Amino acid sequence: MKDYDIIVVGAGPGGSIAAMEAASRGLKTVFFERGRKPGEKNSSGCGLGPRMWQDFRFMTELTPDSCPSMRAGAASRSYFVNKQGVVAGYVMARPTESVSYEPAKSFITMNVYRSDFDPWLATYATNAGAELKTSTLVTGLMREDGRVTGVIDEHGEKYRGLVIGADGVVSMVARECGLRKRWGQDHVTLIPQYDYAVDPRKIDDIMGDETLAVWWSALFPAAYHVFFHDGFHIGLGNWMTWWDKNPLSYLNQVVNLEYFKRLVRILDARPREYHVHLLPWQGTPTDTHADNVILVGDAAGVPCPLEAEGIYPAMMTGRAAAETAAEAISAGDRSKEFLDLYDRKWQQTSVGEEFKTGPELAHIWRALPFSPKETMTWFVPMIMEILGGILDWSQPHAVRVRQVMRQVKSYLPQAVPFLVKEVMPLLQAILGDKMELLTSPEKLMASMPELQEAVASAFEEKEGSS
Amino acid sequence: MKPDIDALVTRIPGSVDFIQLDSAKCNQCGRCLVVCTMNLWRKRGNKVFLANDYKSRCLECGACYQVCEADAIDFHYPSGGKGVVYERG
Repeated sequence: MKDYDIIVVGAGPGGSIAAMEAASRGLKTVFFERGRKPGEKNSSGCGLGPRMWQDFRFMTELTPDSCPSMRAGAASRSYFVNKQGVVAGYVMARPTESVSYEPAKSFITMNVYRSDFDPWLATYATNAGAELKTSTLVTGLMREDGRVTGVIDEHGEKYRGLVIGADGVVSMVARECGLRKRWGQDHVTLIPQYDYAVDPRKIDDIMGDETLAVWWSALFPAAYHVFFHDGFHIGLGNWMTWWDKNPLSYLNQVVNLEYFKRLVRILDARPREYHVHLLPWQGTPTDTHADNVILVGDAAGVPCPLEAEGIYPAMMTGRAAAETAAEAISAGDRSKEFLDLYDRKWQQTSVGEEFKTGPELAHIWRALPFSPKETMTWFVPMIMEILGGILDWSQPHAVRVRQVMRQVKSYLPQAVPFLVKEVMPLLQAILGDKMELLTSPEKLMASMPELQEAVASAFEEKEGSS
Repeated sequence: MKPDIDALVTRIPGSVDFIQLDSAKCNQCGRCLVVCTMNLWRKRGNKVFLANDYKSRCLECGACYQVCEADAIDFHYPSGGKGVVYERG
């Protein structure tokens, strides 16, 4: 039996920050990693957002020396793939004029291989005095008088202390303390991905500072394409309820697109690794703590409800967990009731802010690129009709405008219910009282009298027009 | 093109079993067969079983455990230092 103040199960971003924050408060801390080093079991999130540099000052010390895979970029690309598997168009976007936070104007995401990033992050915990045990699987929780008092590793060694479960989506800690045996099938996604090796010069030449692409498609759920210093990930996912055949078969549809194969050829990219992982993706995290136990990161189900990136939420909840644990220890109260403080703490952070409209954000995303058959079959041609329809001289331009608008109108029977069902609840949640303007056609028209007239004349059938 | 996924996985072989199927609980719903990207679950007649060589092919994602509403599949990670190694994860 070894006594600690804090025992952290898992040395990913959530575990390392929890261990760092605990140790820096003078708490005797150990954290466990089942791999030979942190990061070698992760195939999950890889995007570091500008917010992280604000909340974790040491992020400025992340350099290519310590993290060779890092690659930041300011631009993203959205490909629109139609039912025939043709890239009907794409949009490249840079940070827009409404972006207020200065660093975010120069990069939208810093991408890192977790096999680089996680070991780097763990050194901040060990430098703060936390003890790291690698190649060690924690297999169970230790109980004394029926209460959880610590953990047991695969060799039967016991460690007593307050337990922070940072052990990922399939969390032993959550299971053994009775918080959750498994996720609801619509609260967790399954994500296969390939890693491709690419010469860094080719990436710079061909992609410039584009760092991220999303493939919106009527054939497969949204695929993400993320560039690193010398390679990229191409992957996709969907909720467990969605899959009707091997998820890898959908990813293979992406890599078999003619457009993707062309990109692979010009980048001279070679498949290097295959990964698959689960990822919690839900609107409202619940059951985050129990007596003497706090869950963080994926184990707590806190990845962003909109885009499911989990590194930043893991780090923020790791910090909140360590702060809560420190207060619990000094108060001599490790009960679930005292640890309710943890939820209040993380909910006050920008991670908590995301979850204020969490269910609405999660719904709209699920209804859009993750519903390829239901939504993307009309969404892709509608978007492309608007983006591409005008650049066409097959008819006089006025005729083309009418054709485009008539075609767009044909998608309204699908688009309008989508707006009412998926977009309105989100606007309602965000806008509150101001929503009235959008829900009352009279008020909207009163403020924009020319709108109704314009809409009416635009869709008007004119004799002889085609 | 269909990359050979077995050639794209690095692994440190382990000997300890980490997935167990309780056939008495299994209701043959077949979800594990669908979600395992490595095709490690099979069905013959009305009996589901796990590939004999799963320890040398499993990617430790836990999808089979997660998807099994009948609670027939138990999953724990392989021993520390063993199993899948992602060098570009």
